[in-house]
Amino acid sequence: MTKNILKMSPAFADIIPAEYRELVDNGPYGRDVGVAELGTFKELLEEHPLCAGCGLALALRIFLASLPAPEDTIVVGSTGCSSLVFPQAAVQNIHSLFGNQNSVASGLKRALKLRFPDKDKDVIVVAGDGATADIGLDMVMHSWFRRENITTIMLDNEAYANTGGQESGMSQQGTVLYMAPKGKNFPKISMPELAREAGCVYVAVGTPAQPRKLEKMIKRAILLARHIGPTYVQIMTPCPTNYKFKNNETVNRLKGLEKDGVFKPREYITAEAQEALNKLEEVSK
Amino acid sequence: MYVAIKLNKEKCIGCKMCIFVCPEANVIAFCPKSKKVDVNEARCKGCGLCVVACPKDALTLDNN
Repeated sequence: MTKNILKMSPAFADIIPAEYRELVDNGPYGRDVGVAELGTFKELLEEHPLCAGCGLALALRIFLASLPAPEDTIVVGSTGCSSLVFPQAAVQNIHSLFGNQNSVASGLKRALKLRFPDKDKDVIVVAGDGATADIGLDMVMHSWFRRENITTIMLDNEAYANTGGQESGMSQQGTVLYMAPKGKNFPKISMPELAREAGCVYVAVGTPAQPRKLEKMIKRAILLARHIGPTYVQIMTPCPTNYKFKNNETVNRLKGLEKDGVFKPREYITAEAQEALNKLEEVSK
Repeated sequence: MYVAIKLNKEKCIGCKMCIFVCPEANVIAFCPKSKKVDVNEARCKGCGLCVVACPKDALTLDNN
């Protein structure tokens, strides 16, 4: 999709919604705008149904602003809070069965490679912790074993927030939630290390409290997935509704968790990917 | 009760901290001419993240 597809017929200009008109006039398609320019252009996201103060919404907003080519991007989502945003976002989106997101993305990427051999089409999986680490773990792992050129982004809110607050594999040990009154029995799955061992060429753990760092991680993951192999980004996104803290404490909570050592932002990259990344970053300079 | 943020334009220094912590899209816009932010109150959900982040207390939560 290019910006031309978005353009409206002048005869219908007066009945087109204001949000759409804004997107055509001042959207990010074909322009070099990123997180640093947020607020000066119309974002791809519009009013979404997520809770006030949701860390996941903040992460998705930064994710949509840091896409290197939003017109050539297809986001594959899965059931959960993360999927509620995409009906309101101006990117192509496929909602897959719960847990199937990486299989759908694998097929899609292969088909796009055949259909557009001389064009880079980014296929990005955006799913929650339940779809990535619990229900879809086998599909996710096998897409990494097969070295598919897709980016997997996990929005880790440490619970099944959409269905009333059950514990997920990514919850911390001992967490008490609405539907886990006795506390969780086993520790948090270390997904980034699993991803590194499973063959991801670039693995990063980020937080929306540091938007520019997160943008860099997402851009690197997408660019490396185009050329080298699978990449994985895990974003910590606290949930005020299920973890029972105030709406205005989301960012402070992230900073607190990092300070206490509960949550550690980190990056793993293979030698081959580092070499390619150095070349890519030299070209962009 | 509808809750939205209110901006005191005189206190705003245009640091854009509020824009980077807002989970809603297109609520706070930056005006490059005046080097200050503008608030679209109709899109605000009133979470108060920007109120905490603002270093100059230019934003307040307002119950209309």
